[in-house]
Amino acid sequence: MSYLEYNVKTVPTGWRKILYLNWPLILLLSAVACVGFMMLFSVAGGSLGPWASPQMKRFAMGMAGMFIVAMVPIWFWRNTAALAYGLSLLLLVAVEFFGAVGMGAQRWIDLGFMRLQPSELTKITLVMVLAAYYDLLDIKKVSRPLFVLIPVGLILLPTFLVLRQPDLGTALLLLIGGAVVMFVAGVHWLYFAAVGAMGGGLVTAVFFSRGTDWQLLKDYQYRRIDTFLDPATDPLGAGYHITQSKIALGSGGWAGRGFMQGTQSRLNFLPEKHTDFIFTTLAEEFGFVGAFSLLVLYALIILFCIVSAINNRDRFSSLLIFGIATTFFLFFALNMSMVMGLAPVVGVPLPLVSYGGSAMLVLLAAFGLVQSAHVHRPRGR
Amino acid sequence: MIRTPLRPLARILQARQMGENPDAIERENLRLRHEEMRDQSRTRAESRLLVLGVMFFCAYATVGARMGLLASTEPQEPRAAASGAAIIAQRADITDRAGRILATNMATHALYAQPQIMIDKDRVARELAQIFPDLNEEKLLAQFSGKRKFLWIRKKISPEQQQLVHEIGDPGLLFGPREMRLYPNGKLAAHVLGGASFGREGVNSAEVIGTAGVEKAFDAYLRDPGNGGQPLRLSLDLTIQAAVERVLYGGMKLMNAKGATAVLMDIHTGELISMASLPDFDPNDRPAPLTRGDQSDSPLFNRAVQGVYELGSTFKIFAVAQALEERLVNPSTMIETKGPLTWGKYRIRDFHDYGKELSVTDIIVKSSNIGTARMAMQIGGPRQKVFLGRLGLLEPTSVEMVEAPTGRPILPKNWSEISTMTISYGHGLSSSPLHLAAAYASVLNGGTRVEPSLLAGGKPQTGERVISARTSAELRSMLRQVVSRGTASFGEVEGYAVGGKTGTADKPKPRGGYYNDKVIATFASAFPMNDPKYVLVVTLDEPVETSGAKPRRTAGWTAVPVAAEIIRRTAPLLGLRPEIEPRDPVGVTLASSN
Repeated sequence: MSYLEYNVKTVPTGWRKILYLNWPLILLLSAVACVGFMMLFSVAGGSLGPWASPQMKRFAMGMAGMFIVAMVPIWFWRNTAALAYGLSLLLLVAVEFFGAVGMGAQRWIDLGFMRLQPSELTKITLVMVLAAYYDLLDIKKVSRPLFVLIPVGLILLPTFLVLRQPDLGTALLLLIGGAVVMFVAGVHWLYFAAVGAMGGGLVTAVFFSRGTDWQLLKDYQYRRIDTFLDPATDPLGAGYHITQSKIALGSGGWAGRGFMQGTQSRLNFLPEKHTDFIFTTLAEEFGFVGAFSLLVLYALIILFCIVSAINNRDRFSSLLIFGIATTFFLFFALNMSMVMGLAPVVGVPLPLVSYGGSAMLVLLAAFGLVQSAHVHRPRGR
Repeated sequence: MIRTPLRPLARILQARQMGENPDAIERENLRLRHEEMRDQSRTRAESRLLVLGVMFFCAYATVGARMGLLASTEPQEPRAAASGAAIIAQRADITDRAGRILATNMATHALYAQPQIMIDKDRVARELAQIFPDLNEEKLLAQFSGKRKFLWIRKKISPEQQQLVHEIGDPGLLFGPREMRLYPNGKLAAHVLGGASFGREGVNSAEVIGTAGVEKAFDAYLRDPGNGGQPLRLSLDLTIQAAVERVLYGGMKLMNAKGATAVLMDIHTGELISMASLPDFDPNDRPAPLTRGDQSDSPLFNRAVQGVYELGSTFKIFAVAQALEERLVNPSTMIETKGPLTWGKYRIRDFHDYGKELSVTDIIVKSSNIGTARMAMQIGGPRQKVFLGRLGLLEPTSVEMVEAPTGRPILPKNWSEISTMTISYGHGLSSSPLHLAAAYASVLNGGTRVEPSLLAGGKPQTGERVISARTSAELRSMLRQVVSRGTASFGEVEGYAVGGKTGTADKPKPRGGYYNDKVIATFASAFPMNDPKYVLVVTLDEPVETSGAKPRRTAGWTAVPVAAEIIRRTAPLLGLRPEIEPRDPVGVTLASSN
């Protein structure tokens, strides 16, 4: 379904677009970012340096970027989706190549004012290209095997490249995010059931074969899996972060110790306290109430996105918003489960709160796309 | 599904009659159809959204519930990182075959400073310099006053030193817990263990990495938390290792040697019960490698594994073994030993003149170069090379130490006929004492290849067959006679039927040629000879025995008595019972005694 079939005249133009932005969403994003500034301020021992003030600058920059992206009509983004996807793949390969030259330390490309991680960019371009693909594809053909294989390829290609870096967290995000877009696009559920059953069967086989004659893995590999699944068995190695962050969460209790009163994070027990494990600082200083409030803020962001997606009759816009919302959801769901010891540590930042430029800018640009889709949605007949 | 046609004829005709554009009807119908399809897809998408919404909600609920659960738990006091008890379990211990500790970990502390929160920098610098005499007060003060926010003062400190630093009482002096590798037996088995040092360092912990020996070879295993702290059990026996090192040290001093090595190996399993190399070092305080001069003079040098020497007449047994195996000779075949044997510009001589001819047994017993060289000529170079290769003498040993690949035998560039002859009596091919021990085990255990191993729990190896059991038995008888009536008469140890072969090789000069007053003396032996259980190789570097009128350097006077003393001390510890040897019945061939 193409935009040419809608009456575009009802779409706002010029500066009037600003009035039609999804303002509640912008407000929510700013609120979450403010929580982030506060935490970074606290982790640094009550000072704007070294983390809070660069983070604020980046947020301002990201917001500006978001407005620019939002002003550009959504059909432009749809038409350039394939190009953007191709470009991000190219960057991934380039980083793979130059990274090898740089002793494997280089996983980013220097843009002068910031370091761009192509894997961050890929999260968004993958959703874009999938949405554009399903927008182009006749709905009746969605579940035909050949037309299912194409998006699967589109997902697996960057996933594989990212996995080689190796970045398990991002690979997981790409895989699940892509699958969700396919699911919403209406691919027959039997495909998902088959893949799920296969994965489940493999895992069951691996675990059931343990200790039998036809054991699939070596004993030491099983022990590795054990430590991976239950880090408590290795409290000073793989489980160190988890143990410490659980202690922090426990010591926060219901109401928390109060702003800047956290011990666990401020006393350097947690090495990644300003990035992946910043949530523990929040939980320790503001307790369950504070942590849950952040969860509610995130939930509201997702909710506004879903409402916007449902009210958008353009297939591309709707799928795009949904894909971005899912990626965002996966971000913080993975991070929180990781911090609380529900999932293994895979290195996913807490969106908009963790210190880090690349992730924040890309995320805000993605919300720019959401805004653009919202502003330029087809109205009336 | 009934599809409405896009151009229903009736309506078009009607429209034409009315004078309207019939295409408008088609466009209208197309739009309706599209909308119908879109509505279908929307209903499906909405049900999908519902499913996902439920999933999202479940994830939320789980995260929220977990959060509540954690919030309601009693806040566990963060266990002080200084307690150390948990840290100790990080690197696995190393034990001997009986489970006695050879290497373990000790909790200690590193001392670091954060000058920014230091109260009295002058006092701290002064008092630190008193506690650690090697620190310089002015230098410390300069470091504290500089821009540095953080600096290490000491990587390891003792509890007493820690107490003294505590008493300074400055908040800018901080301790980081450390796990330190400790070798409680000091120098014992130093070369096998190697040593460990700190790798990457953080405030709260530091990585301990192996730097040599089994510590490095098994580094990944020792660090793998998946092994659950299971110690690494070596084949060494602490008691026997101690006895061997003690005797070897005494022997080295007595024989005025500059270095010595001993390898005691199980003849069937290849397990190394003891491996000693002198001079040695304390792995707790590993000396720095030599910056100049010959690395092989460093105490870090493991002569048993890394030292490749021409091992002299000990090699003769391999030539005889092959000649017997190929049915070229039998033990009583007479071989011409009239010297000197001239080959081109080379001349081969014997230590003494053994007359016109000797039996094969006597060539070994009296150690005749000429006789052995003649046998080697019959065997020929290519076959000799294959045979020595099967004994593992041409490749580095596979023993589990990082140093093993550096013990690569030195072969002649061109395996010519003269090389074939000299190699048969142990010149022109260099290998390590460990190589020799493994090769002796292979020919004396019944004739199957044995590879040396440092891991306990080895089963009798069923390696490739090198020689027949019959040849092996014949060799055992010859080697026994070397001790009972030949060059190694000092090797006799009552009740343990020692057999073996001496070897005295002139040391090569670094610029070619040989010294005539520096030798490598080796005794390769096995015991008890009627059913050998262990192989012992003792090598002395530049020994001189000076009790007689003339200095004596041959292995029979130097290496053999040391080896005999080692056997005398360790055989009871190894659980061997002294036995009265059955006298060889005269006139019965060995084949039937097999």
